[in-house]
Amino acid sequence: MADVRSLANSTALRDESALRRVQHLGSARDGLREWRVQRWTAVALIPLGLYFAASVLRLATSDHMTATAWLASPVGALLVMLFVLAGLAHALVGLRSVLLDYVHTRARLFVGELLVRAGTVILAGASVLAILKLFLGR
Amino acid sequence: MQRPLSPFMFPTWYRFQITSTLSILHRLTGIALSAGSILLAWWLVAVAAGGQLFAATHAFIASPIGMLLLFLWSVAFFYHLCSGIRHLAWDAGYGFEIRNAYRSGYAVLAATALLTVLTWLYVGLA
Repeated sequence: MADVRSLANSTALRDESALRRVQHLGSARDGLREWRVQRWTAVALIPLGLYFAASVLRLATSDHMTATAWLASPVGALLVMLFVLAGLAHALVGLRSVLLDYVHTRARLFVGELLVRAGTVILAGASVLAILKLFLGR
Repeated sequence: MQRPLSPFMFPTWYRFQITSTLSILHRLTGIALSAGSILLAWWLVAVAAGGQLFAATHAFIASPIGMLLLFLWSVAFFYHLCSGIRHLAWDAGYGFEIRNAYRSGYAVLAATALLTVLTWLYVGLA
């Protein structure tokens, strides 16, 4: 707990020192990178998510013109694209950790990871293509 | 046997605490939101495609089932958001004391309800 308290000291170079400690002593080999991706995307998703939720709940039942205008505008296109990409990166780390916790057979874990990774990549690609089409075709 | 400790004994013997319940909910809402991203991508593609596909998607979203899904999505989203901020605070080393963990837990539930209500009021007025 003493270590945790020193982490909260805002005058320390805490991220750097914590990173060095984990890399040196921890069990982290490649897990640390994912841990950090999950946290950075989480921070990004706070403003992006609030913007997206407020917009999409208002527009979800709107007509085609309104939805198209939103996704064709530079700000809308950029923020929705960033939201989708950050969200799917965040989801990938989260879903993989769920799989690692509950799937104990090597073959099933492999299939599960394959499905989750493929699904994430396909959804990201489809979303980006759709937004690009609307943005470039306006 | 008043309070067995293992969650594996739920739902018959295990007494839930807010701390473990919220932790489980964080995962469940995360999985639900991941599933929701399929619908999100579908909607984006439908807007880009227009025509018949958009009309069918729009009819589904505007249906009672679609609106219910949208509402559940908003609850899951705001819960995961508030609970995630609580987790980020823990990652930074704050709020581990049991009293504070309980307080922040109830705060997350209150904030979720508040954000959901405010958002739908905003949607209704706009």
